[in-house]
Order: sequence, then C-alpha cells, then structure tokens
Amino acid sequence: MSVVRTENLCKTFGALEVLRDVSLSVEQGEVLAIIGPSGAGKSTYLRALNQLETITSGRLYIDDVLVEERHHGHIKYKLPHKEHSALLLKMGMVFQRFNLFPHKTAAENVMLAPVHVGKLPAAQARAIAEEQLDKVGLSDKYDEYPSKLSGGQQQRVAIARALAMNPELMLFDEPTSALDPELVGEVLAVMKSLALSGMTMIVVTHEMGFAREAADRVVFMCDGAVGEEGAPDELFSRPQNPRARQFLNSIL
Amino acid sequence: MLDALSRIIGWMPALLQAAWTTLYFTVLSVSLALLLSVFLALGKISKNLVVSKVCGAYVFFFRGTPLLMQLFFVYYALPQISPALTIQSRLLAALLAFTLNIAAYLAEIIRAAILSIDKGQMEASKALGLTYAQAMRLVVIPQAYRRMIPPICNEFVMVLKDTSVVFVIGLMDLTSQTRKIQSSNATALVFIPAMAIYLVMTGIFTAVFNRLEKKLSEYE
Repeated sequence: MSVVRTENLCKTFGALEVLRDVSLSVEQGEVLAIIGPSGAGKSTYLRALNQLETITSGRLYIDDVLVEERHHGHIKYKLPHKEHSALLLKMGMVFQRFNLFPHKTAAENVMLAPVHVGKLPAAQARAIAEEQLDKVGLSDKYDEYPSKLSGGQQQRVAIARALAMNPELMLFDEPTSALDPELVGEVLAVMKSLALSGMTMIVVTHEMGFAREAADRVVFMCDGAVGEEGAPDELFSRPQNPRARQFLNSIL
Repeated sequence: MLDALSRIIGWMPALLQAAWTTLYFTVLSVSLALLLSVFLALGKISKNLVVSKVCGAYVFFFRGTPLLMQLFFVYYALPQISPALTIQSRLLAALLAFTLNIAAYLAEIIRAAILSIDKGQMEASKALGLTYAQAMRLVVIPQAYRRMIPPICNEFVMVLKDTSVVFVIGLMDLTSQTRKIQSSNATALVFIPAMAIYLVMTGIFTAVFNRLEKKLSEYE
C-alpha cells in the first residue's frame, strides 16, 4: 500500500514549468531521498504533496485515496473538505528554516496542534509534547523560547512538533541546509532513528551521506522531472542519467 | 511671577476638565477604531476580492478626505440627507467621525504588521492542520502585536492632539479651552500649563506603550 502517490504531477508558475509529470509513490515504512540541483523542483514537489502549493495538473493519492485531480489548473476532482483535511493530517512537515513559532516555548510549539487541531486537553497535549521532546533529546529545553535554542535544537523541536500529530508520513524539506555544519549531525541522527523506527519519510536533501545510509530509495530530480530513481548504492555508484552523473561528480 | 503662578493655578480646573474630555475622547475613539480596524485589515488581506475591495475603498475614502470634513459631514450633512440620520449628541457625532477615520489608519498599521510576519509561519501552521483563522489568531497576529505597538502609540499621540478639531461642532477639548481662556483674559500665559498637560498625557501614553512593547518582546 502506498502512503502517498502522485501521477503526472505538474506545476507551473506562469510560463515556468516547475514540475513536469512527476509520478512517484512511497510505500509504508519506506524512506525516499530526493536529490538534485537547486531549482529542480524538489521542494515544490514536497510542498505540492501537502498542498502548500496547488498543483496544475495530475493526481495526488494519500493512502490510496484520490485527494485531488487537476487538469491545466481546473479541478477534476477534490475530496470533500473534511476528508481532505483529515488526509492531509497524515503528513507532517519539517522546513528548511524550521518555522518554529517564536512567541511560543518549545513545548508550546509542540502542543499547539494537538490542542487546537486534535482538541486534546492541555495537560494531555503537554505530556505528548514532553514525550516528543524527550525523543529528540531536548528534555531540558521544554520551556525555552526558540530564540534561546541553537539551529540544530530548533530543528529538532520542529521535528517533535510534526511528530506530535502522529503522522504516517514525514516530509523533510532540506532540513539541514540552514544549519551550521557542526549542528547537522544532531538533526540527521534524529532523522535516522526515526527512519529506523519505521516512519515513512520523504527527504529532500543535499546530505548524500544520509541519503546513502538511511534511504531505501533515491530519486534524482532535474528540471522539474524525475531523472533517475533507484537503490542508493546503485544510483550513487553507477548513475545512468548523464545529468545525475554530472551532479554527483560535482558534489562528491 | 507670583501673580502669573496664581493666574495659572486659577485656570487649572477649567483646563483639567477640558484635558479630561481630550483624554477620554482619544482613548474611546482609538479603542473603538482598533476593533473596527482589525476587521478592515483582515478584510484587505483576504483572498475574497469583494471583501478586499470594499475594505480597500473604505481606507481610501477615510484617509483621502480631511477629518474635519468627515466630522462636518457626520454632524451637519447626514441630517440633511435624511432626518433619520441625525445624531443629536455632539459627542457621539464626533466619536463616530473620529472612530471611522482613525480605523482607516490603524487598518493599514495592522495590515503592514501582519504582512511583515514570515510566510513560513502560516505554512507551518497549515502543515500542522490549523485552519487559516486559527493560524491568524494563534500564530500570526500574536507575533504582529509587537510590531504594531510603536505606530499605534504614534497614532494615539496624534489623535490626542487632533482632538482639537472637535471645537468646530462646539465641544470643549484642551486646545479649545486654552484658546478660550487666552482670548477672554487677553494672555498667552495659558499656553504654558496647557502644553504641560499635553506633555503629561503623551508621556503617560508613551510609558504605557513602552511597557507593553517590552512585555510582548519577552520571547525575543
């Protein structure tokens, strides 16, 4: 069963084609890494999955349920609002720039959605928040504001915040790109343990080491399309697509 | 010297009485305007074109015409359009005109503050499943508060002084009272206590807003 699947997903900004016929599917428990040069449409693809961007054409399925189908911008099908929101809740997202709520403490950041979306009593949400923060190694930072945390700690709070809603799928949009080099490791470690725990993940990343070690499958994107996909060992050691070869040569 | 002092003290009851009018009129009109302006600001930001245009037109009109004329319009012109629109109380008429006018300015202040909040905040909220209204109420607007404080304080101080416009419909604010004392006593001395009272009032506003700003900045 696929947790998320897209068929011929296209996205244009005016005349600019950002995504061209992207068809991908992620199975339960799978970790998919998306790599590629900047401007390839990797982030846009993630953002289209959880509807931060409206797609121009194509179909999006979550848990094998068709969520939305569009054709040249026109809606062919859209799930009724309530079911739509419920399915979107199965995805958690972690952003490049963390996007923590600066006016809330670490625990409050994590509690917000459980209280206001999940309608849990505050005490129960607080317990969930503490549990999630413990998991990402921030037991001593519950009541700190984000401004008092390092980049790596902020990103770990953001991961805990997304996990608090019990998602089936976690989307990571270049989660370590905004971090100082010495802070990258702590975030990757959390992501690795999450992958080991069986979480389904799609990770847009420039960390090839992470993609190689933690991903089950790697997708190389360029010019808005899937250039190549395969097992990490294969794609990293014997890339077939010339653009993939060029890209890997330039960064490794 | 002593004579001047005793004359100033003699004017004080009338001046303080007028200062009180100025003060509560300012606080009341700006507070009511704040309520109205939140809706105007959110309306102007709204993706609903009709709502956004209506709110935009409101701001355009009330910022684009003089407050003095708006006051005249409410008090003198409305009854001529229809007797049903007559507002008997001068104070109510002035409050209405001021509130409508100030709301246009405050709406722009609030709109700018909301738009200055990083888009990532709205995106993170949506990704967590919050609705637009929840994201605005819980995430975006609370962060915008602090950025609104300095320009709102500015607006308070401006209104405090603009209140003098109400004398045109016969209300007695601090400036009007001062002018009255000046002309009936043929002395400019009265400006000294009057300006002092203005300074005390703006000083209080500034102090309150500074504290508020500090309190809202705690997380930074």
